[in-house]
Amino acid sequence: MSAWEKLTALPREVVLGLVLIAMIIPVIRPLGLPLMVGTMAKDWYDTVDALPEGSIVLFDIGFGAGGYPTLGPATIASFHQFFEKNLKIIIMATQVAGSMMYPLIMDAVNPETIYGAVYGEDYVFIGYIAGTQTAMAGVLGDLYAIVSVDYKGTPIAQIPLLKDVKGADDFTLVAYITTSGDIAEGWVYQAYSAYGKDLIGGMLSMMTTTMKPYYDTGQLLGLLDGVKGASDMEFLTGHPGDAIRSSDVLSFSQTLVLIFIVIGNISYFGARAARKEEF
Amino acid sequence: MDYRRDIPLAITFLVGVIAVMDYYTTLKSVTDTFTVIKNWGVVLYAFALGIGAVNLFRVHGRRISERRRADWPFSAWLLLMIVMFVVVGLGTGQFETSSQYEWIYNAIYLPIDSTMYASLCFYMSYGAYKILRARNFDAFLLFITAIFVILGNTPLFPATFPVFFHIREWIFGPIVGGAYRGIRIGIGIGAVVLGIRTLVGLETGYLGRR
Repeated sequence: MSAWEKLTALPREVVLGLVLIAMIIPVIRPLGLPLMVGTMAKDWYDTVDALPEGSIVLFDIGFGAGGYPTLGPATIASFHQFFEKNLKIIIMATQVAGSMMYPLIMDAVNPETIYGAVYGEDYVFIGYIAGTQTAMAGVLGDLYAIVSVDYKGTPIAQIPLLKDVKGADDFTLVAYITTSGDIAEGWVYQAYSAYGKDLIGGMLSMMTTTMKPYYDTGQLLGLLDGVKGASDMEFLTGHPGDAIRSSDVLSFSQTLVLIFIVIGNISYFGARAARKEEF
Repeated sequence: MDYRRDIPLAITFLVGVIAVMDYYTTLKSVTDTFTVIKNWGVVLYAFALGIGAVNLFRVHGRRISERRRADWPFSAWLLLMIVMFVVVGLGTGQFETSSQYEWIYNAIYLPIDSTMYASLCFYMSYGAYKILRARNFDAFLLFITAIFVILGNTPLFPATFPVFFHIREWIFGPIVGGAYRGIRIGIGIGAVVLGIRTLVGLETGYLGRR
């Protein structure tokens, strides 16, 4: 086997081992590589920033444990901005595991201690609602008809924040962060198309290609794409966290992948040329 | 008259018409009726989750009793975990708000699910190395697009050379956006046609095998 052919077929263990090393190095020794804030995340930030104090935001946690490392940091940074702006937040989950993400997010944001926020007055969690788009349509159509108690089991009529919230007309902004394409597009149909609500969305990077057309047309006013969007939000809100730390890992590992792709191509053409010379 | 076929078709027609009327009209009676239907939808969806759990017990219970497959211990472990989560949830009477339930979720499920998802990165890296080769013109287009998207997505490169960010935006805009809109419009028209066919009873696939 020629050197070119060996390069075209590097063992999986070598490639994966080097990717692992490229991930570990920046974790052990963060390099603080530069960041460029994207326009999609900046638009998300500006949309929230432009809201008057006391505006009500409906926020959907549409991810579970698998999505938490990627989307958790974006959610935490977003909540920091919501609380800093003194917005009122009604949180729901359209994914079963979203209920389990809520305590993790709130433990990281710590709104009571940092912002003096009060549960039930400044924010409330109405829990998981089954049915995805049916749940969205239900919450926006008639909140009281679809939800009877909050996450803690308190009847929603007794929660000060929810006393005057009946449906879509009472929400100034709808926001979601999700790993699911059905949820991401569902909010466009149910919140923007049906009620013309201002809408911002966060999702995995791999979903950006399908959701960016909605951002380009203004149906989504802001978009957070994966770790990149999360690190942008952490930078913009001034709350550096896991996403900014992950940016170095992304830079290192993706550069290595790029090098492997180039090596794969050079060796492929080298091997092809060598075979032609043999004939 | 075939009641097993006609009754579901009549229900579908009624619910569909009310849903369409709710979207296009502001009649209070229609809105109220559709709100009740949406509530039923949420309850039915929750029931579907329960049926899913029952089905898991049927499928994996059979695997455990037969012990023909080498991976039957995983089935046993799955059922054990389901029972454990239910017992802890019901035992404390607080479901996901209980600290014990939260602990077993955060200590067991969270790291496993995150690891499963994170391992994708390794497969994608190796896949990119093996597959992204400019073997012909089509593959070359894919290769060059992938290179620029990776350059635009890697935080270091756009921060150092902003042109990579703009190239990525251009790829995501006219190229991807244009193609996706075409696909989306096609899907939309297809969904409208399917909806109409379902409403008038021409599409009966959702009734299951008959």
